[in-house]
Amino acid sequence: MARRMLCWLEMEPDEAQRKQWEAEFEAAAKRPLRQRFRYAFIRTYKPVLDDAPYRSFDTTAAYRAWCDVNLPSWLGYGTGQV
Amino acid sequence: MAPAKFEYAQAEEIRDAFARHGVRYLFLGKSGAILLGFPDTTQDADLFVEKSPANGEAVEHALVELGFGLTESEVGDLRRGKDFVQLKNGPFDLDLIFAPDGIDTFAAAWTRHVDVDGFPVCHPDDIIQSKRAANRAKDRESLPRLIAFRDYWKTRR
Repeated sequence: MARRMLCWLEMEPDEAQRKQWEAEFEAAAKRPLRQRFRYAFIRTYKPVLDDAPYRSFDTTAAYRAWCDVNLPSWLGYGTGQV
Repeated sequence: MAPAKFEYAQAEEIRDAFARHGVRYLFLGKSGAILLGFPDTTQDADLFVEKSPANGEAVEHALVELGFGLTESEVGDLRRGKDFVQLKNGPFDLDLIFAPDGIDTFAAAWTRHVDVDGFPVCHPDDIIQSKRAANRAKDRESLPRLIAFRDYWKTRR
């Protein structure tokens, strides 16, 4: 855990970015949940990840390690720790 | 071929089936944030499930009712309590996380949880903490906006 936390780098948004996000949050808040849901869930094929109907891991760390080793980096599931 | 995208009606089916079987769970991750109002996109639902033999059995019954085809071995995983189970053998994709990064216990997360139209959702602080701890590239990218959403969400509570 400590090793992972050391890698964490949080970027602070600038004021213009924050205002744009808040406008998006305000707009979303005006939409009903069902409508927000409709546009929030998308579906694209994810190589390797979508190629097995079932996977289980004894630990979450084992799952993260599996993602690091087996998934294409561009999917974004890797921690870059392996 | 990719399965169909996750729909609101399926979230309702999870909520209702899990309630019928007394499953202790919380929506986590971006799917949880979306339920709270976060305007973003994701591909599947992540559920933080309390790890206990009884809850594992309740999850099994609810999933079978929802149409997931579980083998004997997979049922064993749920009952014994693997930390992470990824299901793509049902009507929609579902990640069951029994021990998410960054959250100590289910009981602690439950005390902070938020109810959204009957959907039990992790508090945004817990969603953020789990993403920070997971430290995946896609989390690092989305966290600043999610943190800004959490701050906005708190002002509206």
